[in-house]
Amino acid sequence: MEGIQRENPEALSQLYDRYNGILKALILRVIHNEAEADDLLQEIFMEIWNQAKNFSAQRGKPLGWMVTLARRRAIDGLRKKQAYARAEERLQQETEQQPDAWVHNSTEEEILDGDRRVLIRRVIGVLPPAQQQAIELAFFRGMSQREIAAKTNTPLGTVKTRLELGLKKIYYGLKELRDEL
Amino acid sequence: MSFEEFQNRARLFVIGALEPDEMAEFENARREFGEKAEAFITECYALSEAFALSLKPAKASGQIKARLMEMVKNRQAH
Repeated sequence: MEGIQRENPEALSQLYDRYNGILKALILRVIHNEAEADDLLQEIFMEIWNQAKNFSAQRGKPLGWMVTLARRRAIDGLRKKQAYARAEERLQQETEQQPDAWVHNSTEEEILDGDRRVLIRRVIGVLPPAQQQAIELAFFRGMSQREIAAKTNTPLGTVKTRLELGLKKIYYGLKELRDEL
Repeated sequence: MSFEEFQNRARLFVIGALEPDEMAEFENARREFGEKAEAFITECYALSEAFALSLKPAKASGQIKARLMEMVKNRQAH
């Protein structure tokens, strides 16, 4: 990030190589469209280049900052392009085919690999499905608590509790994970 | 607001799930708890990172990087 703050294009090139796959996956999870995700990825890296001066290492890691930025842009993009209905339909289809992507998306081979992704998924996978769903809708769909309540036909207070409990468990699970690694 | 309650709100805040009516209260508590609050919020960004890292990385089109670097070079040239 320091290199980008000094406006060194090589630093941006390295950052892109390191993180484009993660950010593309995040964008794709939000907007569910390959071509739009590529366009948005390019815009996001341009924004990273333009906004790098606002990044402070004291306030967190570069990845956290980039994820926050990418998620916001992806959700904005989803709403602006009015692709919401189409994504909704695709998500519905995916949900039907794969009821819980976080829990069931890893293969035996990946589990044996024991990589970071699988370990994080294990932390998330411990949560009851209703908590996972609430977090998924909030984080990847940008839904407010009220929107989640309406979508899942659940009282607002219950949604809030699910989010709070789920996030708390993941937070402590990740802490344990960091201590173990 | 107790610090424990602030922590619950902070985790919602970093994933963008605080309701507008909770935001003002959260910001007040954030000011009240000061550095301790900021340190906790920074820690909470691990949640956003983890959600992104929980996904299988996706391959971007090869043209994206070339276009990006071209845009950066053009911008620097002007």
